[in-house]
Amino acid sequence: MAKNKTQQYIRTLGIDKKIVANIDNGIIVLDQDLKIYHFNKWLELHTGIKEYEILDKKIDDIFNGINSKTLKRKIKTALRIQTPTFYTASTSKYLIPIQINQFHNSSFEYMQQDVSIIPFDEEKGLVALILTDQTIMANTNALLESNIQTINKLNSELLKERDTIDKKVLVIKFDKTFRIIDISQALLRLLNYEKEELLDKNFLFHEKYHMTEKTQMELVQAMSELKVLEFQESTLSAHGQRICFKSTLIPEYSAEGIHIGFLIFRENITDSKRLEKSQEKILASSRSAAMGEMVSMIAHQWRQPLSLINTIMATLKIKKELEKLDEKDINEAFSKIQTTTAYLSDTIDDFRDYFKPNKESFEVNILSLFDNSIFFLKETMHQNNIEYKINATQNISIDTYKNELLQSIINIIRNSIDAFIFSDVEILNKQINVNIQKQESHISITITDNAGGIQEDVLQRVFEPYFSTKSKNGTGLGLHMCHTIITGHLKGNILMTSKDDVTTTLIELPFTILKGIK
Amino acid sequence: MQTLDLTEDEKDVLQELMNVAYGNATAVVAEMLDAFASLSIPNIKVIQTNELLATFSELKSESYFFSTQAFNGEFKGESAFFINQTSADNLAKHLELDSSEDLDDAILELTNVLTSTLTTKLSQEMNTEVSFSLPSLSKIPLQEIEKSPTFEHYSQVIVIDTDLNFQDQQIHGKIFILTKDESIQWLKTKLNSILELLV
Repeated sequence: MAKNKTQQYIRTLGIDKKIVANIDNGIIVLDQDLKIYHFNKWLELHTGIKEYEILDKKIDDIFNGINSKTLKRKIKTALRIQTPTFYTASTSKYLIPIQINQFHNSSFEYMQQDVSIIPFDEEKGLVALILTDQTIMANTNALLESNIQTINKLNSELLKERDTIDKKVLVIKFDKTFRIIDISQALLRLLNYEKEELLDKNFLFHEKYHMTEKTQMELVQAMSELKVLEFQESTLSAHGQRICFKSTLIPEYSAEGIHIGFLIFRENITDSKRLEKSQEKILASSRSAAMGEMVSMIAHQWRQPLSLINTIMATLKIKKELEKLDEKDINEAFSKIQTTTAYLSDTIDDFRDYFKPNKESFEVNILSLFDNSIFFLKETMHQNNIEYKINATQNISIDTYKNELLQSIINIIRNSIDAFIFSDVEILNKQINVNIQKQESHISITITDNAGGIQEDVLQRVFEPYFSTKSKNGTGLGLHMCHTIITGHLKGNILMTSKDDVTTTLIELPFTILKGIK
Repeated sequence: MQTLDLTEDEKDVLQELMNVAYGNATAVVAEMLDAFASLSIPNIKVIQTNELLATFSELKSESYFFSTQAFNGEFKGESAFFINQTSADNLAKHLELDSSEDLDDAILELTNVLTSTLTTKLSQEMNTEVSFSLPSLSKIPLQEIEKSPTFEHYSQVIVIDTDLNFQDQQIHGKIFILTKDESIQWLKTKLNSILELLV
């Protein structure tokens, strides 16, 4: 009867008692009035309260925060159904407040507990509460919960962004076989297509009639090499409207890095293309206007030498009729005519050189540049009794496009001269003054005239194209071109102000064209 | 797949056993909540898991609390308890609960009482014992239940479903006792031995 012996031996060991005493759980025995009958060692160690101190006392008097109504109900139910009832850590957190002394358990102040209420003695109405530490699990759950929240937040942000992209960004997506798989709402709206009309279509086939052969070749090449390509294209909307795009082809890869297709991001440049065209038109008209200006200035320059030639011819003629013409006279006259015609020819060369736009910038001396401009205008100024003065603090040179600047200065001074000529009132002491100053980061040129000033409403519009107060005589492009040249090509600023009878034009230019004004 | 349908006789015996178990469960729940409760006559059937999921999806229309509790022994499985938001709110009012954690706890308690009383009574009749795991509230939204791995382990399930009604309090719940193929086989054997005793 070895089995019986073994059983007897085991009984003497008191296994149940020893194991229960050392089990890694809290055990409390309570009656239906919550009076404590047993409080195990584990609980003694965790709470620092000895069993003998609390026997026969009520558990809700010992520990704070116990809902006695709920606990009583659970005990009663367990006794009634003769199976356990429970508290779970996930909903009830803990029953007995036990402070956590571990570092990494930062989410909770108290040990999170599962509690099983086991019917123990039906007659006496006793139950055993078994506490299990679930803090690690609860921590994991809390971490998971907060991560889920983060993911949900990120996800909703992502969805929002995707929605914005769909509404705002012009993008078309196709797979490796060029089958269109998605198109943003923004692009569909622009092209007046429904998504269904374009989905599953072959992108290359759909677009090929609107692309140049060169673009097509480049596109196919970039696609086969999986390269990013920037290109310009134009396509027709469903309504037959031509739309120009600046586009970027980007190969698309899956999260695993496998090539799955392509994206084309498009930027609608139809409007700027249109603007570019109208700018070109303005430029062309301003060129012809400048040409006209040049011809009139050449004519001006030529008048005096031509009349000189005329006078020489007339003198020769009179002398011949009076039979006083000798060899010396003829030679002198020829020599004078030769010099004068050479001057006429030089004048044309000068004009041609100055009105040719520079391709490269180089060192320009501002004072001599003004001398050159005045050369073309001094005759007119002299005829109209306009006094011209130039004042410079020092001899300054800057790196810029010479002819463009020259053209602008002639234009501005020409404007001042015209203001004197077309003035309704007689102006005494007509003056055009130029002041050149070197500033810290740039040079400033001020050109002032006392030709009567400009009205505020006119002043606001002087740089607009085709705006002119000179009715018949003006193209309305002169100052517009000055503005375009100075702010665009020469990287400077131009400002026109007017006070009383004086108009001031301020030009600021960088020392070198590469750096611009800081 | 082997079909484990219950015969009419087996169903009758199980129905009888369940009626006893339900009577017991009703009394306990009524006592616990201090209110008059009634349970509809349990509806017993063996169905495929996908049919069960279809049944669950009918419940999707409303916001539900969904809790489960596993039980173990010769007769083992899991119970699934559904209670809608309105009923849960009424339960909270009735029990004078003031936090959502307390309500969760009360729902778990209800799940436990129903699962325990139903399965304990049943296993007692069949001379076996069961032990219970802690019930837990599923955080999974109802729409996602199909993806829940819980149901992947079941091919066929025996469904014992009943409505729990507290007439005065407007509290309605629905509980499913789900068991796996193995337990269905065990149950059939047990039911047949009871049948033999009756003959």
